[in-house]
Amino acid sequence: MNVELPLIAFVLASALATAVLRDVLGAIIAFATYSLGIAVVWVVLQAPDVALTEAAVGAGVTTVLFLLTIAKTVRPSGDRVLERPHWPALAVAVLFVGVLATTLGALPEIGAADTTVITSEVTEYYLANAYEEAGVKNAVTAVLAAYRGFDTLGEVVVVYSAGVGLLVVLGKEVFA
Amino acid sequence: MIDLLATRDYYLASFLLLGVGTYVMIAARNFVKKVIGMNIFQTGIFLFFIAAAYLEGANPPVLTMDGPHVSPLPHVLILTAIVVGVALTAVALGMIVRIYAEYGTLTEDTLEEVRNGE
Repeated sequence: MNVELPLIAFVLASALATAVLRDVLGAIIAFATYSLGIAVVWVVLQAPDVALTEAAVGAGVTTVLFLLTIAKTVRPSGDRVLERPHWPALAVAVLFVGVLATTLGALPEIGAADTTVITSEVTEYYLANAYEEAGVKNAVTAVLAAYRGFDTLGEVVVVYSAGVGLLVVLGKEVFA
Repeated sequence: MIDLLATRDYYLASFLLLGVGTYVMIAARNFVKKVIGMNIFQTGIFLFFIAAAYLEGANPPVLTMDGPHVSPLPHVLILTAIVVGVALTAVALGMIVRIYAEYGTLTEDTLEEVRNGE
């Protein structure tokens, strides 16, 4: 049985639930479901490293951050379960998707052997030389830590700046 | 047409997620929900990249497994992007906590009123 379409339907449905739920706590829970669904999509698309990160960071840390935020602030009160539709925003979103969808025909088939990404020299080079040059059997780790090490250093700088920024914004408060 | 959609289903899902993210970012009046919308938008872009790296019948880019492998480069870019996204979310939520401490509200319209009333 093909798992793709039910999975995509599940992910889109939980994203929609996140969008329409009025209670922010409900939206956060729906978003955690969505993150977990996306993590399964990464597994299906053969990206186990991304799936692990998504499940730990996307579904885990992000959800905790959101929950801490609403614990420190408020949730909108009221009886309505769903948000009222916001027509201008809907128009913008539909227009945006429409414009993007016009590019669909120009995109290569997913999983085809002759796509630019798969046949690219970079992909072939990494897969052929990662073990010899970096000594790691996992090509993703080799690229992350060796070939694109400066990129990862930049990422660490971003995380550090975010930490400093948080401390500045919150003043003496502690985010926990 | 059906064939076009069936072979590019993840791309279409990615576009729809971008649409949902845009909608939430514009429509939500609560700041926390706007940040959730931003996160949905991000994952839409991630889906586009990971789908582009996919090769039918291939193994993950772990060299102990037999080839062919999917491309490792988009995976690396998205790993970096996920972590940067969390950093972004953390700063945004910190600002939201601060806004609430200063103005006592988390909704766009009320914040505007409070600021204009000062």
